[in-house]
Amino acid sequence: MAKILVIADIRQGVLKGSTAELLSKAKAVGAETAVVAIGSNIESLIPDLANAGSDTQYIADDAGLELFSAGPYASCVVDAARQFDANLVWFSFSESGKATAPRVAAQLDAACATEITDVVLEGDQIEVVRPAIANKVMQRVKVNTDKLVAVVRAGAFEATEGISGTENVVRLSPPASDLKAVIRELISDASGEIDLSDADIVISVGRGAKDQAGVDLVKELANDLKAGFGSSRAMVDGGFMAHNKQVGQTGKIVAPSLYMAIGISGAIQHLAGMTGSKVILAVNKDPEAPIFNVADYGIVGDLFEVVPILREEIKKIRN
Amino acid sequence: MKILTTVKKVVDVELNMHVEDGAIVEDGLQYVINAWDENAVEASVQLKENNGAETTLVSVGGGDNTDMIRKCYAMGIENGIHIEDPALDKADSSVFAKVLQKVYEKGDYDLVITGKQAQDTDSGQTGIMLAEYLGVPCVSNVIIIEVTDEQHIKVSRLGDAGTEIVELELPAVVTVTDSINEPRLPQMRGIMMAKKKKIQAMDLAALGTSYNEVGGAGLKSEVVEFMASETRKAGQKFEGDAAEITAQVVNLLANEAKVL
Ligand SMILES: Cc1cc2nc3c(=O)[nH]c(=O)nc-3n(C[C@H](O)[C@H](O)[C@H](O)COP(=O)(O)OP(=O)(O)OC[C@H]3O[C@@H](n4cnc5c(N)ncnc54)[C@H](O)[C@@H]3O)c2cc1C
Ligand SMILES: Nc1ncnc2c1ncn2[C@@H]1O[C@H](COP(=O)(O)O)[C@@H](O)[C@H]1O
Repeated sequence: MAKILVIADIRQGVLKGSTAELLSKAKAVGAETAVVAIGSNIESLIPDLANAGSDTQYIADDAGLELFSAGPYASCVVDAARQFDANLVWFSFSESGKATAPRVAAQLDAACATEITDVVLEGDQIEVVRPAIANKVMQRVKVNTDKLVAVVRAGAFEATEGISGTENVVRLSPPASDLKAVIRELISDASGEIDLSDADIVISVGRGAKDQAGVDLVKELANDLKAGFGSSRAMVDGGFMAHNKQVGQTGKIVAPSLYMAIGISGAIQHLAGMTGSKVILAVNKDPEAPIFNVADYGIVGDLFEVVPILREEIKKIRN
Repeated sequence: MKILTTVKKVVDVELNMHVEDGAIVEDGLQYVINAWDENAVEASVQLKENNGAETTLVSVGGGDNTDMIRKCYAMGIENGIHIEDPALDKADSSVFAKVLQKVYEKGDYDLVITGKQAQDTDSGQTGIMLAEYLGVPCVSNVIIIEVTDEQHIKVSRLGDAGTEIVELELPAVVTVTDSINEPRLPQMRGIMMAKKKKIQAMDLAALGTSYNEVGGAGLKSEVVEFMASETRKAGQKFEGDAAEITAQVVNLLANEAKVL
């Protein structure tokens, strides 16, 4: 039986839903599951980790692990993978996962695949599917060894209801800190805002909104709907939106039930981050904008006119 | 400071692409410098201008890379190395990283700057693996590079919780993302000078290695098939009176798509 080790996605002390998604998939392919949790003061997460679908929990809990550092994090994962004798090591889609996976693969002498969307196990043979070339094509990748380290693309797997695991805790000794790459500071992103990767509705604003007033206008719509508020790169470059709000190939990958692209042209790098959404609404004044090629509903119009009406109409329908 | 910048020639992602019988149809494709590597080149040239540095680029594979390398020369890179070998056709990130390791070891570099990912693979592995093989520190997804002293740089990286500021001891590898800078357009003078510059071309043997040694004989994974990606279809597009069509769409979102 294959053994799958999932790296728990913990942000600000909270276990993200993606951990259960990966563990559910691991169980669905008939694997034995374990999870490795890395951080500081994470003991209280152990029941959640088991409930998410793991049968063994490797815990690396140390004050030195409070801030992400790829070297020590990789050491913890390698330690757990060796103890568990994992065939597959899966990271959730995150910047820390993307930074750590290739290190772990190099250290375990394993194959490495990022952004996988599916996995097929047949006997000892591992195959994965992943997008490439800015999502223009998909690749089927055959793994020639018995070990694969992978980053799973956001939204690729679903959590199964009623899945559970058993509590069986193994404590890892804290890794040495990386003396050659020392974290000096973390400038935290604004907290309290809805995380784009969790939101059921995401509304993104693009260059069509022009300036801060336009951004604020669209933000009000997001507030009404308690939606995640994202952006194209143009508005991040323009200084109107924070880096962590960028949706796209170099930003967040989102797959909400409703995605609204407001004043966004639909460049391929933006599409790479949002075409997994269930339903897409686009508002753009240019009827030829490429965003309309992927939108289920398209409103051709001036966003400064359309957004206030959208707010009114949604309020009406929700009452 | 000696900087090595890695540059890959990749398929132009802006053009249409078709898949037939498990392979990408080559007809009509064009090849360009990987966008993130253009950011890496710009970052290197800025370090040269602001702090004084010697800049070298290396590109592995890709066939005739002359135009791409000349473009980087025109942007301000001083030396160019092209490693070409027919054996490299199936190479993956790990093999490229091992080839780059050989190049690095010949050159006494202080800093390697790679792109965050190559647009053809979208892997984001090569730079990080190179650092592992070299046993030097690495920070990925970097948006600012500052030189602190002869032995150190300070970088800012976009992480999950915010911007992480990391001090790195040299030699080191950093991978850069597109927010780090706006690559300059080569100027006429640079383009003219670039034409006269040499490109150091060699195969694996000349580099002092072999396909086996860089792991090519035992590829850990290989792409066995390309498939067309699921494309979304254009849905309903509404034009006309803003109030009317917006009300109509809200109604559809609520009652047809059931997402409101
Ligand atoms: C390596 C690389 C990585 C990248 N990564 C990303 C990424 O992760 N995410 C990302 O988003 N981009 C990314 N980009 C940039 C991308 O190519 C586009 O430049 C960017 O997405 C454009 O943003 P935009 O759609 O807001 O702006 P534009 O392309 O300028 O589009 C603005 C749109 O607004 C419309 N408009 C104007 N006024 C109005 C109005 N009053 N009402 C309604 N509509 C209006 C226009 O018709 C137009 O379609 C990347 C690029 C590169 C090279
Ligand atoms: N064949 C190559 N030649 C030069 N640089 C490369 C090559 N392959 C990868 N790189 C560098 O490594 C980065 C990441 O590539 P990848 O791991 O394929 O996503 C690229 O942006 C390049 O800077």
